[in-house]
Amino acid sequence: MTRRKQSTASVLPVSQRKGGGEVPSLAAFNDWLQRGLHQLFDAVVREPIPEEVLRLIEEDRKK
Amino acid sequence: MYASFHDQVIAILPKLRVQALALARNRAAAEDLVQDAVCNALSGQNSFVPGSNFAAWMHRILRNRFISNLRKRRDTTDIDDVPASVFASEAPHEDRLALKELAKAMVRLPADQREALVMVVIHGTSYEALADATGCAVGTAKSRVFRARRQLAAWLLGEQPDIVGAAPRRDRLHRPIPREMVVGTMRSPL
Repeated sequence: MTRRKQSTASVLPVSQRKGGGEVPSLAAFNDWLQRGLHQLFDAVVREPIPEEVLRLIEEDRKK
Repeated sequence: MYASFHDQVIAILPKLRVQALALARNRAAAEDLVQDAVCNALSGQNSFVPGSNFAAWMHRILRNRFISNLRKRRDTTDIDDVPASVFASEAPHEDRLALKELAKAMVRLPADQREALVMVVIHGTSYEALADATGCAVGTAKSRVFRARRQLAAWLLGEQPDIVGAAPRRDRLHRPIPREMVVGTMRSPL
């Protein structure tokens, strides 16, 4: 199997696939990664802070 | 006039929770880590100089606590801690599968790369602020983010360095790529 000549526009090494086929660009992957990470982590940002942590801080504040 | 120390701690808690989740890989351990870090910060508040970089100081406390915990015990936390929201979403089944694979791949990353990527992507932390928060050089911070992205791309796209004469090896995490990620791709010649 011959190696596909690396495109100058490509950031990652591109492997030839049998019969050809689409190869996701790094930019497309990074866009998807950005959205995916937000889906995984944004809920944590929006959640209320656990009461026990707030209580720790407030009790210390009163000292 | 600076916000009070305690108000600064409360204000930074959401970011600390994200950092903790990136480091600890599951919710229970992350919540414990945040609580431990807050305790450490309250105990050491006299060492904080008002007006200096509170965020960096606090992030370092959490990070140091994480490292300290690792040294005391072997990390045996469950890696399959995908947020319930992923499964509850109305996204197409294929996209939910891809998200689950992303969550699994994130767990496989080294902790410093995972932490760096999450802080940059989720909070838009600059490389300089990331370097301050994690106690490393700016170049190191950039390198961690770059390596994390590259490694995730390698795992999730199934693209591995070719061995001469061999077809690309499909990583066991590889799943059909969501169509939205294929937009803008290049078609390789026959």
